Amino acid sequence: MTILLEVQGLSKNFGGLQVSSDITMSLKAGDRCALIGPNGAGKTTFVNLVTGALAPTAGVIRLDGRDVTRLSAADRVRRGLIRSFQVARLFASMTVREHMELAILQRDRRTFRLFASVGRTRGLAAEVAEGLSLMGLEAVAETTVGSLAYGQQRLLEIALALVMRPKVLILDEPAAGVPHSESQRILDAIDRLPKDLAVLMIEHDMDLVARFASTIVVLAQGKLLCSGTTREVLADPRVREVYLGSRAHAH
Amino acid sequence: MSATMTDAAPTNHSAARLASPRRDLSWTAAPLVGLLGLAAFWVFPEDLGLMTRIAAAALYVLSLDLVLGYCGIATLGQAAMFGTGAYAAGIAAVHLVNDPLILLVIGGVAGGAIALATGALILHARGLTLLMLTIAVTQIVQEVANKARDWTGGSDGLSGVDPAPVFGLFRFDMVGRTSYLFALAVLVVGMLVARRIVRSPFGLACRGVKEDPVRVAALGGSPRAYLVTMYAVAGMFAGVAGALTAVSSGIVGLDSVSFSWSAEALVMLVLGGTGRLYGAVIGTVAFMAAHHILAATDPFHWMAFIGLFLMGVVLFLPGGIAAGLERLRDRLTGTKSGSAPGGRA
Amino acid sequence: METLFGIAVDGVAYGMILFIISVGLSVTLGLMRVVNLAHGAFAMVGGYVASYAAQTFGLPYAGALVVAVLLTVLATLPLETLLYRRIYGHANELSQVLLTIGLTFVIVASVNYLFGPSLKRIPLPELLQGTVALGPKSIPTHRAFVIVAGAVTLLGLWWLLERTDFGIRLRAAVDDPAMAAALGIRTERLYMATFALGTGLAALGGVLGAELLPLEPYYAIRYIVLFLAVVAVGGAGSVFGSAAAALALGVTDTAGKYLIPNFGEFFFYAALILILFRWPQGFFKGKTA
Repeated sequence: MTILLEVQGLSKNFGGLQVSSDITMSLKAGDRCALIGPNGAGKTTFVNLVTGALAPTAGVIRLDGRDVTRLSAADRVRRGLIRSFQVARLFASMTVREHMELAILQRDRRTFRLFASVGRTRGLAAEVAEGLSLMGLEAVAETTVGSLAYGQQRLLEIALALVMRPKVLILDEPAAGVPHSESQRILDAIDRLPKDLAVLMIEHDMDLVARFASTIVVLAQGKLLCSGTTREVLADPRVREVYLGSRAHAH
Repeated sequence: MSATMTDAAPTNHSAARLASPRRDLSWTAAPLVGLLGLAAFWVFPEDLGLMTRIAAAALYVLSLDLVLGYCGIATLGQAAMFGTGAYAAGIAAVHLVNDPLILLVIGGVAGGAIALATGALILHARGLTLLMLTIAVTQIVQEVANKARDWTGGSDGLSGVDPAPVFGLFRFDMVGRTSYLFALAVLVVGMLVARRIVRSPFGLACRGVKEDPVRVAALGGSPRAYLVTMYAVAGMFAGVAGALTAVSSGIVGLDSVSFSWSAEALVMLVLGGTGRLYGAVIGTVAFMAAHHILAATDPFHWMAFIGLFLMGVVLFLPGGIAAGLERLRDRLTGTKSGSAPGGRA
Repeated sequence: METLFGIAVDGVAYGMILFIISVGLSVTLGLMRVVNLAHGAFAMVGGYVASYAAQTFGLPYAGALVVAVLLTVLATLPLETLLYRRIYGHANELSQVLLTIGLTFVIVASVNYLFGPSLKRIPLPELLQGTVALGPKSIPTHRAFVIVAGAVTLLGLWWLLERTDFGIRLRAAVDDPAMAAALGIRTERLYMATFALGTGLAALGGVLGAELLPLEPYYAIRYIVLFLAVVAVGGAGSVFGSAAAALALGVTDTAGKYLIPNFGEFFFYAALILILFRWPQGFFKGKTA
């Protein structure tokens, strides 16, 4: 299988503080990988480095074989590296439909059409409807996001990420804050994703991890602690100690 | 009550109501302006000169709404584009052509070009820095216009703009009938085009940038490219408005590219309400009509009035006159919406 | 040589006035994040009060100066509570611009109503007329006085911000408002005190600078762009930044008027664009003090 995302020796210093050090990992097409680690392990920093929100101090990031380390976040998105935000980050005054329309038009690079009509763009309405039904959002299509329930905002986040046709999809705790009845929808949607894309999911809920992931990467104190298949990693005593132990402690 | 009003962001509130499932009547704005404008033509035949200036100014304020209302760029430099368009059309009229439509095109191109050039340079900045940069650009344009006396007439102004008949048929008469109807027609067309643009995929993306540029980048878009493009588009509108003023009045003065003309555009737009397009027209009519009446007695009365009014709008009526009217309509029709006073937490 | 000396003296004096007025704006912008376009109007009010006190009541220059600063601060403090407090913060730029433009218009109209449209003077005491010898050169006493006053203001502000409890709180709040609030610094009072400091400085500059920036009702609108330029170049909240920017702009502007009288403004604004393009946070931003 082709390697879609390859990270080599990725490091980041803030002042003297090393928040990510020498992380190396890769995702192949079809991978379903969970990124876990105790709070403060540097998971979010790692995602920000990969997506381009932060510039690394050292290391290389390759997307589908091409070095994207120096590209902007938007350029990486255009090359198929898509993320969903942990805390839903949406346009408060726009409707759910408008979000989907903007994501699709942006994906197809049709946003510099100054005299076209959004409503009459061919195929757009159908694709919006399809994307919304996937997350059960049809009923709130015309609602402004500011007045949407939090769980529904999360579902819209996922719907946006999916509609952008990612090659590599990074989901930052996709089910956090979503009612249990709805989180099933998210997992179903992830199950139905095309098999040739790679998914990296940051998750705390070990039930979800066990259900979703074929491989696991564990971060602790900004370093790669271990990685491997789900079974191997969950059996690793170091993981039990650092991750599960500290979580048990925290609760 | 005033406290809750001030806390709420006016923009959220305006878009929330656009999105409500009520029938979308915004297409009626341009035809309505045309009809009311024609009615005014018969009712106030003595004031055609003033009404012509209002129509051109409304187009100028509309251009600011594209930038501020749909992209969230706070600028005190819109007059740079207006003035450049006015001078370009004026100079072309004196030396080259006198067809009024071609002059409008020249003004639009000039306004768009200066907006593109300066926008690409300054739109990376935010807040006070951006305000200062837009002011500085306007002052430089004014200084150039002041110094290039041979072309612009300097502080005496550029005169001798003598446009040919519109379509070769309608002469610009002494009373100003043709001027007014021409200006009104250009304004209506401008409103239609602007409405088209804000409802296009591009307009949608600009609204996204206004709310959260980082999120737009996360969708793969380049916020700055949208801002610069919209700035240039709005520059074309402002340039056409400047050319329209030059054509209809026959003169171009240094005040058309001044700091205060920029500030007045902002005042008119906010009076009317941002992010609606027709708010720009309402604000301009209200401002310039009140100015005409009050400033005739003493310009300082006018300043006191507009100053108090402005403070009142910011404190008590964040969406401008248009939002007030919409709220009133909701009251009357009994429509429930989140914007009713006290209805918001 | 004579010209250069003239430029230096006039430029520095002019820069000092710009500094005294602008630093008040800079401090309020740095702490409360408010773009106060009415700051020039406050300076103008100070000037008018001093002029009225001196002309009508025959107060001596120093007395008129003190009365003007105190009265201006007293008159504007209610505005802080009633108006400004509603528009503090990052997200409110547009409201700030509009509200303070409105306030400026009202002040301009009121000043015109009360004092009329003609130019007002603040008579200088004999002590400040004439010239003082400085080695082989002599400079107008008033210019020398303004330069000294500017330097004293700079030192005074430095002392206030670096050496007093108020200054420590103020700097803490500028650097990190959330942290300051968490440490129990009462921001409301701090804001009020800072606002008073800002308007007091404006009034001081308005009185001292009346010879250089003549008092008339449109003063408030005419010079505000200049004060904003100083703050933008100096960096919001930076005292030394404001001083450096004000002196640089004052000397540049004066030199432009002496040497290339036709393009003075042009070079001023071109320099402004270049500086802000390269250093969007202000040329002297970096150390907050």
